[in-house]
Amino acid sequence: MAKSDTSKRLSELRMKHGRPPASPSEPKAERAATLREAQPRFRGLESGHRACQGCGEALAARLVMEGAGPDVMVANATGCLEVFTTPWPQSAWRVPWIHSLFENSAAVASGMESAMKAKGKHTKVLSFGGDGGTYDIGFQALSGMLERHHNVLYVTYDNEAYMNTGIQRSSSTPHAASTTTSPAGKERMGKRHLKKDLLSIIAAHHIPYAASASVAYPGDLQRKVRYAMGVEGPTFLVIHSPCPLGWKHDSAMTIEVARRGVQCGLFPLVELERGALTNIMPIREPRPVADYLELQGRFAHLFNKNDYRAQEELDHLQALADHNIETYGLRGEGLDPVDSTGAGHVRRGGPLAGRS
Amino acid sequence: MVQITRGQWAGAGTSLDFKTGSWRSTQRPVHIHAKAPCHVSCPAGEDQQAWFALLQEHRAEEAWASLVNANPMPGVTGRVCPHPCETACNRVQVDGALAIHNVERWLGDEAVRLGWDYPVVAPADNAPTVAIVGAGPGGLSAAYHCVRLGLKAEIFEALPEAGGLLRSALPPTRLPRAALDREIDRIIALPGITLNLRQRLGRDITIDSLRERFDAVLLSPGCELPKPWSVKGAVPADLHEGLQLLRDFMDHGALPDNAKGDVIVHGGGNTAMDICRIVKRSGAKSVTLITASGLPGPNTAPDDLINVVPRELEEAREEGIEIIDHATVSRLIMKGSRVTGVEIISLKKESGKDGRKRRVEFEGTERVVSVDMVVPCVGEQVEPEAFEGYLDGAYFWPDNIYGRMAPRVFAIGDARGSRGTVAAAIGDGRLAAEAVVAELAGEIDPPADARPTMEADGLNTAYYANADRTRVLKLAVSERTFEAEIEGAISRTEALAEAQRCLSCGNCLACDNCWTMCPDNAVIKTTELATDGSHYVFDYDFCKGCGLCTQECPTGYIQSVAETN
Repeated sequence: MAKSDTSKRLSELRMKHGRPPASPSEPKAERAATLREAQPRFRGLESGHRACQGCGEALAARLVMEGAGPDVMVANATGCLEVFTTPWPQSAWRVPWIHSLFENSAAVASGMESAMKAKGKHTKVLSFGGDGGTYDIGFQALSGMLERHHNVLYVTYDNEAYMNTGIQRSSSTPHAASTTTSPAGKERMGKRHLKKDLLSIIAAHHIPYAASASVAYPGDLQRKVRYAMGVEGPTFLVIHSPCPLGWKHDSAMTIEVARRGVQCGLFPLVELERGALTNIMPIREPRPVADYLELQGRFAHLFNKNDYRAQEELDHLQALADHNIETYGLRGEGLDPVDSTGAGHVRRGGPLAGRS
Repeated sequence: MVQITRGQWAGAGTSLDFKTGSWRSTQRPVHIHAKAPCHVSCPAGEDQQAWFALLQEHRAEEAWASLVNANPMPGVTGRVCPHPCETACNRVQVDGALAIHNVERWLGDEAVRLGWDYPVVAPADNAPTVAIVGAGPGGLSAAYHCVRLGLKAEIFEALPEAGGLLRSALPPTRLPRAALDREIDRIIALPGITLNLRQRLGRDITIDSLRERFDAVLLSPGCELPKPWSVKGAVPADLHEGLQLLRDFMDHGALPDNAKGDVIVHGGGNTAMDICRIVKRSGAKSVTLITASGLPGPNTAPDDLINVVPRELEEAREEGIEIIDHATVSRLIMKGSRVTGVEIISLKKESGKDGRKRRVEFEGTERVVSVDMVVPCVGEQVEPEAFEGYLDGAYFWPDNIYGRMAPRVFAIGDARGSRGTVAAAIGDGRLAAEAVVAELAGEIDPPADARPTMEADGLNTAYYANADRTRVLKLAVSERTFEAEIEGAISRTEALAEAQRCLSCGNCLACDNCWTMCPDNAVIKTTELATDGSHYVFDYDFCKGCGLCTQECPTGYIQSVAETN
């Protein structure tokens, strides 16, 4: 696209979304923007969606859309995100958005990207799925998309179970978590198996960029989105998104739960380029995993003092967190403004990180 | 809601037509301005959080203007105040209180250096005029606040200079005379303030005549008369009472000869501390403070703690002052009419039958030490002359916070009986001036501030970066003289860095957390429509009441209240 075409397109988008014109020569929006329309950020996912109170996935998707900006199209696998954003006849999306099947959002996104390429357009294609649609059902389509090197950013909102259908275990559900299909009881202490290390599999495709992020660190999350948006080729982002309903924690605690998940080492925030580990978020002072688990009802059986297996499983999860810290070298050295403690800091006027 | 039928070609309806706010069942987030603990504890009524907020934006002059809305003498209080604000500071729970007094002093000095104008306009020519007795910190503050509120003020001072106790009883090592004069001169130069010197109540003027001539009378005479001191009836012939000794020393620069030997100071206030240090510096062999209170420690009850500026205590101990706490002088040992020794006995404040604290001396703990001089510093009371009919015993003891003694007559400062700091006198001046304005307007009393206090457990400290308190240089013990100020000044860079440590307890930090973390896009950023002094409004059409913003608000400014729908 020629430069003038790009600026024309951006001017159209600014008009459409009620944003102020970039220069006096540009046409103004036809009506005065409402307060909501005049927000100094792109609202790709609007209010009125039907997510539960305190939904981590709704927050993550909103943050991704803000970071990705208006010139995008979305293919969205079946799942919570698809269901709560598009109850017929309404949509919370303010960009072109296609609902794929559960298993093929990566394939649909591949097609969309190829069509844009054929038309000579540069609109970036995003592909969204939950952990069920990514770790399990849509995995083969995703692998194909990565292998064919489509210019797509694939984002998986990882809430660690099939929440939309009623909290069934997925291959992303962490060890020892109780779900309706891995209930804690006499026979088992929740899920018997381990959480699938998807990021390593993705990285093995040798793609330009794959990373994990958390809703507890919005600045870090959006930096990763923006970086991926600038990459020509397949990129992948997994976002840890607490689910108050499925994880059984208070809706107000979504961020706190996510923050402790990172700070204990169970959900490492890492970046991989061409399969190599290029960056991590250091953990200033690793917290015990119990701090993270105690907030969630799905791990309540690990705090049953009368069950001898509880301590064993707690120790197992602690060992898994320690293994992550060891494997990725997460232990921080001194104070780092973007480590798991510093990245959250604010001061008057906004976040502290990245300011002089 | 826009209805479209199946098969009809149309753009999808927006979900904005569906108001998820109707889902809120138990709670909704609201903005609640709570008082920061520094503000709550400040006797002068400063809102430190408010002026630190301006300083965080590098708006130093506006910060100073906000400060002097309560306290016109930050250069003075920044030097002499025991800063209860720092004791109350919620940052104590994180990594140490803010150095509030150092920044206050910097702002006060900056205002003088750069000639910032006090935020007052000249009162109208026919404005009511208020008579103020005494030009100490309370009287000067009252005059300033009268002018700030549109009244004229006429001060009557018995001495040839304004300043009161600030001039007569505070050593230059704590309050250099230049710093004092600069700030006082700027206040009495304000339009609408007249200062009459060498006018003593009872000799040149009377309260009744003032009540006739003026619209209101404010009494801030201070406490000049030493409280009677004796030990079981014995008083040494060559008794030197503490405050008088301090005044004589500041006037003549000399102490009595027996101050070269072993000196005991009896008392537990800032004057006692000043006496100890001056006597020691002039060459006393030893100086021992005997106080009935306790020294700071982890187990010291607040009502038992010695009432002195903490850094003064620290400096005194550096200089070699001995302190015997929880003790009193139980007997004077005299040779003729001269003191040669004292008997000291341990005591403590214990709760009696009626629950009130009383001093209990512990039999068997008596010990005798030989001394050359005993200096009592057990406090002062109002010089009763000319105040007949107003005093209740030694002090005024008004029964209301405004100090109202009679219609349009108010008492201010130490003379009230329940005060004891410069900051409290300054606060009294403001309260009385506000009450005068209300009374002249025919109202009862100014409205009280009913806001709740934000305690440390209401904050989310995960969002605050650790930052150590600014280290302030002070003179080494060997370099301390009678004149040089001991505590150093801080630079602009240090003041602005210290301001960044303020947690903004209970008030919006504009950090964007609520705006960034709302899963429902129900926080709207705006400065135009946010009438409550924040940068955000809640869109209750869409807020589902999850409580996330309340949880993640660092300052406790967002709180969840019961849903009333």
